[in-house]
Amino acid sequence: MTGIARGPGLITAALAAAFIVITAGAAVGAQQTSARAATPLELKMPASARPWNRYKVDSQGSTWPQTDWHNFNNLATADVSPAPQAAPAFALPIQGDAERGRALAYDRSRGGSCVVCHIMGKTTPAQPGNVGPDLSTIGATRDDQFLFNYVYDPRLYNAGSIMPPWGAYQVYRLDEVRDIVAFLKTLKEPYAITDKSENPNTRAAPVESRDNLDPTENPAIFGLDLGKEVFRRVGANGKSCAACHATPESAFKTWTAHMPRYEPRLKRVLGVEEFITRHARATTGDELLMQSNDNLGLSIYLHNLANGAPINPDLASAGARAAVKNGQALMKRKIGQLNMACVDCHTREHHAGKWVRGQYLVESKGTIAHFPTWRTSRGDIWDIRKRFQWCNVSVRADELPPDAREYGDIELALAALNKGEKINSPGIRH
Amino acid sequence: MADPMKIRARMEGDAADVKVLMSHPMETGQRKNEKGELVPVHFIQSVIATHNGKTVLDVQWSQAVARNPFLGFRVKGAKAGDKVTVSWTDTKGDKGSIDTTVAAA
Amino acid sequence: MHQYRRKLLQALGSAVPLAIAAGAGLLRAGNALAAAWNKTGFEAKVAADALKSLGVTGAQPSKEIILAAPDIAENGAQVPVTITSKIPNTQSISIIVDKNPFPLNSIYEFTNGADSYVSIKLKMGQTSNVIAVVNADGRFFAASKEVKVTIGGCGG
Repeated sequence: MTGIARGPGLITAALAAAFIVITAGAAVGAQQTSARAATPLELKMPASARPWNRYKVDSQGSTWPQTDWHNFNNLATADVSPAPQAAPAFALPIQGDAERGRALAYDRSRGGSCVVCHIMGKTTPAQPGNVGPDLSTIGATRDDQFLFNYVYDPRLYNAGSIMPPWGAYQVYRLDEVRDIVAFLKTLKEPYAITDKSENPNTRAAPVESRDNLDPTENPAIFGLDLGKEVFRRVGANGKSCAACHATPESAFKTWTAHMPRYEPRLKRVLGVEEFITRHARATTGDELLMQSNDNLGLSIYLHNLANGAPINPDLASAGARAAVKNGQALMKRKIGQLNMACVDCHTREHHAGKWVRGQYLVESKGTIAHFPTWRTSRGDIWDIRKRFQWCNVSVRADELPPDAREYGDIELALAALNKGEKINSPGIRH
Repeated sequence: MADPMKIRARMEGDAADVKVLMSHPMETGQRKNEKGELVPVHFIQSVIATHNGKTVLDVQWSQAVARNPFLGFRVKGAKAGDKVTVSWTDTKGDKGSIDTTVAAA
Repeated sequence: MHQYRRKLLQALGSAVPLAIAAGAGLLRAGNALAAAWNKTGFEAKVAADALKSLGVTGAQPSKEIILAAPDIAENGAQVPVTITSKIPNTQSISIIVDKNPFPLNSIYEFTNGADSYVSIKLKMGQTSNVIAVVNADGRFFAASKEVKVTIGGCGG
């Protein structure tokens, strides 16, 4: 059973051997544990594509940035991002081109741009954000050195700042930081945005009012149909899921509400999509790789069968508790060239409820029960792991493969946080 | 096999309210694929809706209608049990069609 | 979602012709009663030319056209727009998105008891006016609404 088996014959033989080993070791402990230990799972191969290559473009044409960010922390590596460092000294007053600085402050292609988080005086373009303070009079209240240092590396003044170290992490060159300072120095007049929807401080939070289960509203219902087909499809071993699970409507009424779960045989957390891959390999012989259309469809079907069930993950085991603890720690880790942690945007303690440009930041509570979800801006169904991958890339951190243990820890920590929220899948979201 | 269209027709007052979702890429010709190649224009150009065999709605679409396009319309004087059909033709000459019976309110 | 399109083609048993018939301007295949596709209008790059192709010389603003669209669309990929014309004898509703590269979006003609009502989802490239043009007995009326398209802060 060595190496990665490719042909169906090899897989079947390897899996048959694994199956026998698993079921032989099953009969120990409490009823529930022994029922789980008996669940056949393929345990050796990765559950997603290897080598893992970042997505390039989604079905509607929206791209994924292709930059390699291995010089910065990600969820698997905690010790590569540069530590805070003193800003280089320049002769005062700082010389720079305020016009170029303004263009940089509003140019989203360069790194999000300042206006994503700040109102910046009378030239502020449409839909500014408010994660950071209004800078419209900063030129009158702060000196050159402070402005330069802050843009260069905000951690010099606020260790936990959500603001990226624009200079220290080389999002902007030093001459560009000086240009931005020159622009900031021109901001001396308060600026009132009277249009309620333009002003992030008065903008109404978006309300999701679509009927996600209306098949004429949510294209993910095509995915639900596919999932039902996959469930009935006969795999390489001559069986379908339905062969062993004759009544999924009753058998899986709450199953996904107890996922993800700590899997002792893998010594890490197993989510629904990875479970599908490993369980299918060990039973029907169907290869349902994570994030394939078939896997997403089946995940939707299994979640949909549990619609209305309150999320209630099993947190009893030592493994589960350690996973939740690690997941919570990972959500606090600053990652990427933009140096942000999940909690920075997605907790009320930090910046949930504020706006990044025209987009509202939601907290993690109340925002996982609808996965897998249709994404109207991408034209695809996303599982929760793809959401994590996209968030990582958005803060300019390398994403991990969907079956990464770190994502499992975070998913279990989120399930614990969302205990009681009712499954409602497939969702439909921006 | 998955049905590539979804339709719901229900009486609301004296009209049948009909909603249809069509599965179609509605390519504008501006999108680049994974290899960086431009995906050619390909969209539904024409949709015809009939009620008990008579055309009630004649639609011309451009590539600027959303992907997996939705269409909602109403037929006055319809009754529960009436037949509604929605058919489309795209720029490649491919077609799709679905019919349904109007449900009671 | 190419998977679903393949399934449709299998169901129809048709081979996919490689030539694209876009803008052929011919009667649309298989339905002699369908109106010809308004190639000139759909290829117009400014709203004024699109309106000309619809035969509109002057459209009166009308409060009898109810144009429902979000004040702010969460993204431009699909913006829900619902139009109801209360003008008697409405024959058609046309939709123009004035800042789109090709402003004429779609045309809806009503017969045999169809309500002068349509609900669809449009693509919008940026914040723009959405304009509903109604043709009632050869006279033209219009209503307009500005729809803001959200500028994303987090990678789109």
